[in-house]
Amino acid sequence: MSEPILSVEGLHVSYGRVDAVRDVSFAVEPGAIVALIGANGAGKTSILNAIAGLVRPRSGTVRFNGKEITRRPAHDLVKSGLVQVPEGREILGTLTVDENLSLGGWHRSRTMAGSIAEVYERFPILHERRKLQAGALSGGEQQMLAIARALVAKPEVLLLDEPSMGLAPKIVDEVFTVIAEIRATGTTVVLVEQNARRALAAADVGYVLETGEITHSGPAQDLLSDERVIEAYLGLS
Amino acid sequence: MQLFVDGIFLGSIYALFAIGFTLVFGILDRLNLAHAAVFSAGALVGIEVVTRFGLSIWVAIPIVFALGALLGVLIERIAFRPLAGRHDAHFAGLISSIALGAIILSVLQALYGADTRRFPAEAFPSTRLEFLGATFSLLQLMILVISVTLMVVLTWVVAKSKLGRGMRTIAENPHAAAVLGLNVGRISSMTFAISSALGAVAGVLFTLNVNAANLGIGHAVELKALAVIILGGLGSLPGALIGGLILGLAEVYAVNTVGSSWRDMVAFGLLFLVLIIRPQGIFGARKVREV
Amino acid sequence: MFEYSSLLTFIALTAILAFSFYAVLIAGQLSLAQVGLASLAAFTAALVVPSEPLFGFIPPLMIGVVFGMAVGGIAAFVLGLPVMRLRGVFLAIATLAFGEMVRIFLINQSWTNGAQGLSFPKLVGIETAWIALALVAFWFWRLSGSRMGRAFAAIREDELAATTMGINVPRYRMASFVIAGAVAGLYGVLFVHFTRFADPNRFSFETAVDGLVTAVVGGTTFFVGPVLGSVFLSALPEVQRALGIDASWIRPAISGLLLLVVILFLPGGLAGLIPRRKSSTRLVSDPEALPQLEPLPTRGTEVMALRALGKSYGGVRAVRDVDLTLATGQILGLIGPNGAGKTTLVNMVTGVTAPTSGTGTVLGIDLTAKTRAHRLARAGIARTFQQIKLFNRLSALDNVLVGGYRVSRDTLLRRLVFLPSARRFERQAAAVASAQLIRVGLGDKATIAAGDLSYGDQRRLEIARALASHPTLLVLDEPAAGMNHVEADRLSELIRSLAADGVAVLIIEHNVRMMLALCDRITVLNFGEVIAAGTPDEVARDPKVLEAYLGANDDAAAEAAAEELAEVAAESVKDADGDAAGAEGAR
Repeated sequence: MSEPILSVEGLHVSYGRVDAVRDVSFAVEPGAIVALIGANGAGKTSILNAIAGLVRPRSGTVRFNGKEITRRPAHDLVKSGLVQVPEGREILGTLTVDENLSLGGWHRSRTMAGSIAEVYERFPILHERRKLQAGALSGGEQQMLAIARALVAKPEVLLLDEPSMGLAPKIVDEVFTVIAEIRATGTTVVLVEQNARRALAAADVGYVLETGEITHSGPAQDLLSDERVIEAYLGLS
Repeated sequence: MQLFVDGIFLGSIYALFAIGFTLVFGILDRLNLAHAAVFSAGALVGIEVVTRFGLSIWVAIPIVFALGALLGVLIERIAFRPLAGRHDAHFAGLISSIALGAIILSVLQALYGADTRRFPAEAFPSTRLEFLGATFSLLQLMILVISVTLMVVLTWVVAKSKLGRGMRTIAENPHAAAVLGLNVGRISSMTFAISSALGAVAGVLFTLNVNAANLGIGHAVELKALAVIILGGLGSLPGALIGGLILGLAEVYAVNTVGSSWRDMVAFGLLFLVLIIRPQGIFGARKVREV
Repeated sequence: MFEYSSLLTFIALTAILAFSFYAVLIAGQLSLAQVGLASLAAFTAALVVPSEPLFGFIPPLMIGVVFGMAVGGIAAFVLGLPVMRLRGVFLAIATLAFGEMVRIFLINQSWTNGAQGLSFPKLVGIETAWIALALVAFWFWRLSGSRMGRAFAAIREDELAATTMGINVPRYRMASFVIAGAVAGLYGVLFVHFTRFADPNRFSFETAVDGLVTAVVGGTTFFVGPVLGSVFLSALPEVQRALGIDASWIRPAISGLLLLVVILFLPGGLAGLIPRRKSSTRLVSDPEALPQLEPLPTRGTEVMALRALGKSYGGVRAVRDVDLTLATGQILGLIGPNGAGKTTLVNMVTGVTAPTSGTGTVLGIDLTAKTRAHRLARAGIARTFQQIKLFNRLSALDNVLVGGYRVSRDTLLRRLVFLPSARRFERQAAAVASAQLIRVGLGDKATIAAGDLSYGDQRRLEIARALASHPTLLVLDEPAAGMNHVEADRLSELIRSLAADGVAVLIIEHNVRMMLALCDRITVLNFGEVIAAGTPDEVARDPKVLEAYLGANDDAAAEAAAEELAEVAAESVKDADGDAAGAEGAR
């Protein structure tokens, strides 16, 4: 068994006196896809934000490539290869597609042009629209742009927050194809999803969250066939 | 013709102040009321450097520029950054910058007293020029040229440079900026530094032109600059220049027709009317925030 | 004592000026026009103040004060008409411009004697100033516990949530503006009759900043704030003199530093340091105190009818062609994946966003671009928000009291003269709020600030706040998010009991089991369109629903899951019937 590339130990996140995440621990093998699934408000996004340095956890540690990164600022983490695609995409609507992508390469000015060219190769539709304001893209294109923008940063670990949100099934298929391709290049993926079956089908390992705690975990295939998981996820406990 | 030329030159001074001011207000969406104190600081420190140390005005200006940049960083760190994420950040920033401005002014008062101070007469060549029958000073021409140049350069910086891209990203969506790994604190600091450096230099040029400076000069110009920014359109640098020129012309013609005691009514009347009729201004780059 | 009399008078007057800022700040507005209004009042009052008592017994100052307050209030109203749609910093800038316009106007008038200044009779001394201050402070004290005071606080904390409680936000913002104008007018008249000499330049931007600083340093959440601020800042130079420091820069430096410290670290101002009860009201659990509320419409009355309702943002159609009806006593569920348009639909139903196509009628009010959320709320709709929108700095009980806005009466005028009915009405409002708070299980947390409650408690508090308005139609947007299944079960029971009382319930929820057991009908949205609608049983068998929700994309899995769900649906319906039967038996 190889060293985990990313590990979370006893993570606790609270907003004011409100606990969002309680004592969550998990580890991610290099090159794997890990899915965190659960209902709204279960704490999935808080976990991702704590890993990415966007919220300060109350306690617990996060390790990346063997080094502790807890409470390091987000811009340091992006530089070292831990990149998030946020919930709701958060593309910059008034900036062009090109500008959005170049923001992804904020820390890599010198090699950025090359990575943008690579990304355009993978997403020809974005190349077609590179001069358009990103706000004018369709929902699916915006999601692709958000993923593409993160890829420009050459991530070792990609944190994907609800990439299927609000997308038509056909587009969701495309998104999951892209996720598979990303994994094929050796990038590790942590996937937060509400679309539980799709997420588990794509993942190696899954964790089910309820009210800030992990209630089930295991190989994704096992979870997928485990009736209890689907029941728990649907609130059918 | 003389009136027109006078108006243009007066307007270019307003624009000089407004361009630095709107960099923070229009792009970063933070109203920094300590800017007036930076303007006064630039003027008074400039006078001090020239009179006490006998340095040339051309050496004094870079010194003042650096001082302004330093003040800008302090303002961002002390008055704005601690408020990030608070739901009343806009209101609180207004108050904290008033407070920091008052502190800066009190330090200036401790150093230089409250009296009016001047540059020595020989600080800047008093050459007068003539153009189409109107006369003006070399200094006035210089101020106009600097204003236009600044507008062009800063417009380029905001639109094309990496820093400008960062600024616009932070303005549109600070959360996305952080997700993308932009160092939000450093970019904000840089923006405040540039804005305040320009404000401090504007203080020197303004003082050279009217040949008198005291603690309060910043406030008078600050209110006019607000009018200029809103008139030109929030967030638009060309708007700040053109708004400045319009205000300058309007004031000069108003003084000529209804008398100098009504002069300030022009700025505030315009400001008030624009806000209630067309809040996005002439070159409204974006809509005034309504919620 | 005598040597301090002018200082003490000055403190009182500065406090009154600070109150004119306090008046708008408590409603979350920032206006800088007050100094201009004060100036207008002072100089126009000079035209009407007689030299002898009117009719031999009305003192001249009284006439000036009444006149000045009227001028201040009316001018504030006229100014408010155009500037009220501006917010935050822009409202501040526009009002600042107005103040400066007044100054320049007055300085150019012959009747004000321009910049030379005008002499006024000395009519104000220490007693008058402090009596006036006491009256102003009294007004704000009585305001703070009244329904109007709560409405101001609600607007300050969250304007949108306040609107959906039935509070007419523009009208209250204007009211705060007019009160500020009247207090500013009072200040202007008193000030010039104290200093005996003034010119319009005395009422400048700097004066406005002083007033604002005094109010903020003192604190804007407690009525003693402006007085504290004034005492503190006015006394500074005296302390300095007593210590023998005569450098004039010390005072601005200290007051600047103080202001900075307060705004950064002490959001409640100096008054925030005074220990006091977190909640201005106590739980009233006496059922006798409950008022008689209007009965709900008879069961089965249609309260919501949507026909082909739609909403597009730019080119994106967030909701399209939705038909829905709902009657009292029914529970209608709305499910679908994130981003399906559920919240947009609910926002249209509650008047928060306007539809761009189709028609809808809710509680007899048509949904158009002109429909105001507060009117719908007054008609009997109440809601919770997916992104919790509580009044975070108010106590749990105060949150619910604001929720009861619709069914309570304004008590400000009664409170001013301590009418017994004021106490009675307040007790009634508190009883309504307490009952709802206890009903959702938060009775023991009444005094805790809403922002400090746990996630699940915040959800419950939002529901209590919505219930306090005695709604006919209750809209719940993901009420169980963040609750564990025990809490969710309790919530289901509560919702069922509401429907039994005759409330119409529209609920969005991801907890499918809960929805299948709870709802009479379920509508499923995906990409803004209705993809299925019917009884829980029918919906649970629909493979489209499974695909949309679970992402089951092969038919076998979908079928299996559908069967699973259908079973659960059947069981839970049985359970619910059992519960109902049990409850019946217990009665």
